Amino acid sequence: MQTDRIIGAVLIIFGGLLIWWIIPWQAEEVGYGWLRPRTLPYIIAIGLAFCGAWMVLSPVAEALPDANWQRAALCVGILVVGLALMSWFGFLWIAPPMALTLMLVAGERRLFWLTVGAAGVPAAIWFCIAVLLERPLP
Amino acid sequence: MLDTATILTGLGDAFQPVTLLYVLLGVMMGQFVGAVPGIGPVMATAIAIPFTFGMDPLAGIGFLVGINKGGLVGGAIPAVLINTPGTPDAAATALDGYPMAQQGKPLKATKMALYSSVTGDTFSDIVLITVSAPLAILALHMGPVEVLGLMLLAFAVIASLMGASIARGLAAAALGLLAAMIGTDPEHATPRLIFGNFEVYDGLPLAAVAIGMLAISELLSRLARTRSAQAATIDIPRDQPPEDRRVSFAEYWACRFTMLRGAVIGTLIGALPGIGSTAAAFISYASAKQVSVDRSSFGKGNIHGIAAAESANSSVMGANMIPMLTLGIPGSVSAALIVSAFMIHGVQPGPFLFEQQGRLIYGLFGAMILANLMNLLVGQVGMRLWVRVITAPESFVLTSALLLCFAGVSLAAGGLFGIGVMLTFAVLGFLMTAFGFSVVVFIIAFFLGPRFEISLSQTLALLNGDPLQLLAYPFGLAMMMLAPILAVWLVGRRA
Repeated sequence: MQTDRIIGAVLIIFGGLLIWWIIPWQAEEVGYGWLRPRTLPYIIAIGLAFCGAWMVLSPVAEALPDANWQRAALCVGILVVGLALMSWFGFLWIAPPMALTLMLVAGERRLFWLTVGAAGVPAAIWFCIAVLLERPLP
Repeated sequence: MLDTATILTGLGDAFQPVTLLYVLLGVMMGQFVGAVPGIGPVMATAIAIPFTFGMDPLAGIGFLVGINKGGLVGGAIPAVLINTPGTPDAAATALDGYPMAQQGKPLKATKMALYSSVTGDTFSDIVLITVSAPLAILALHMGPVEVLGLMLLAFAVIASLMGASIARGLAAAALGLLAAMIGTDPEHATPRLIFGNFEVYDGLPLAAVAIGMLAISELLSRLARTRSAQAATIDIPRDQPPEDRRVSFAEYWACRFTMLRGAVIGTLIGALPGIGSTAAAFISYASAKQVSVDRSSFGKGNIHGIAAAESANSSVMGANMIPMLTLGIPGSVSAALIVSAFMIHGVQPGPFLFEQQGRLIYGLFGAMILANLMNLLVGQVGMRLWVRVITAPESFVLTSALLLCFAGVSLAAGGLFGIGVMLTFAVLGFLMTAFGFSVVVFIIAFFLGPRFEISLSQTLALLNGDPLQLLAYPFGLAMMMLAPILAVWLVGRRA
């Protein structure tokens, strides 16, 4: 119940932000036409706030989900750092350490699988895309 | 609408060696990924789309259809052998498949799953081939008001049926539509919600959004849960009597009504947007149990249970293509992904498709039937091989899939910017799934968003500010009125 109320409140706040701040800032005001650039975004924002209010007023009994938040955040962090480093060093050099780190985080300790995952798979992808298809990798 | 020559030429295109090769490759890849719990055909299709860029349209789309069809067969393998469905569709298969494997008949159970899957799939493909062209002729008479009404109806059905509650379903649809608003406004051509990123002038790249929401978010979720590198061990005894290793024709024939019922249920459910193959499998399983004279044997290794579940979940795929090909409205995420592949290859789905791309469509129909045949052949040969796939560690499989997503999106959506969009939507998809919001509703709304806005704009222009003008469009008006009524009824049924 508590979770529903919190999510509902977040949706109401997001809807409010869209209506009073984001849409006026990010969509031009046009004085003609039946469907202006802001019309549908406003309707969607009102819809989101309405859904939020619905969840606040009639919550469904549900507990906070157990989604392994810390480990998920760690994986996202690894991917974001990997992406940032790829812009500097490229896929070929960053994909192997990124794959290795992710496999270690997932609990893999066997040398064979670590080698195949961190060296074999990135090399195979690079070969298929850069060499066979002649397309650029980041 | 189409002359026989176009139909025959199209069907003949499916037999071109290149097309045959890609369909076969797709089926093999689909069975492979279906057998790996956690990947599944939807994720594999999302990953594979960018790799079809360089292919001929029929070969590329045939490849994706092969992955989808192969995945439905492959998903049953881990369901039967380790009671862990490779795809959600196969959950009902595990109810009788796993007990049968426990009784020492794992190959018999997987083969029955294969045969009933191919039977159901072929049935729904035949329905698709016979029904879609006449439906497309009807759809050609629809204007913007009717299209808008139909989309409202589709949104109402999808939002009511998916997610933990109706409020969540509507919120997911609204978020998907909001994401579709990013880019250039179609009526006034002004930039909207782009926050200074000129790369999104044409909207967010569909491949990056779909792969982020569907594939990466699921991979993140599974990576976060994986703590041990151990995989299940499966033992298929080699000294089994032949009758325990194969399905005889008598056994197959005895299941004909169960499979037919499952195929009809799956086809009907598949033709409606949003319900999905998992529901079809369970409804078919429940109805097979209901009419059986030996109900107590269900759940204990009854071969009819496997036939009911597999024929229904596989027949959804062909039927899903009916609204997609005739109206341009995808009935499922798989269909939405195949639509995006059509668009990547410069083909616009919808009623004009049959008129403008008849040869391609009949080529696709031919490829679908061939994919069913290949599913049967590859399944016969590959069952023992795919069993080994299940033993690959999850850490390796998930990490490899992540790297493929990075490479695929960089090809499809313009390098690092596309990967950034993918990661953003992966986080959103992870949060939405964790809190019970349907990412499927989000993706379908995102996909339909631009068309919805154009239809709404044209409808408002046609009505010229007078709502009473709607009376001149009875079909569109009926759809618009039916949408809230159907939503309320479906919510009532769910409650």
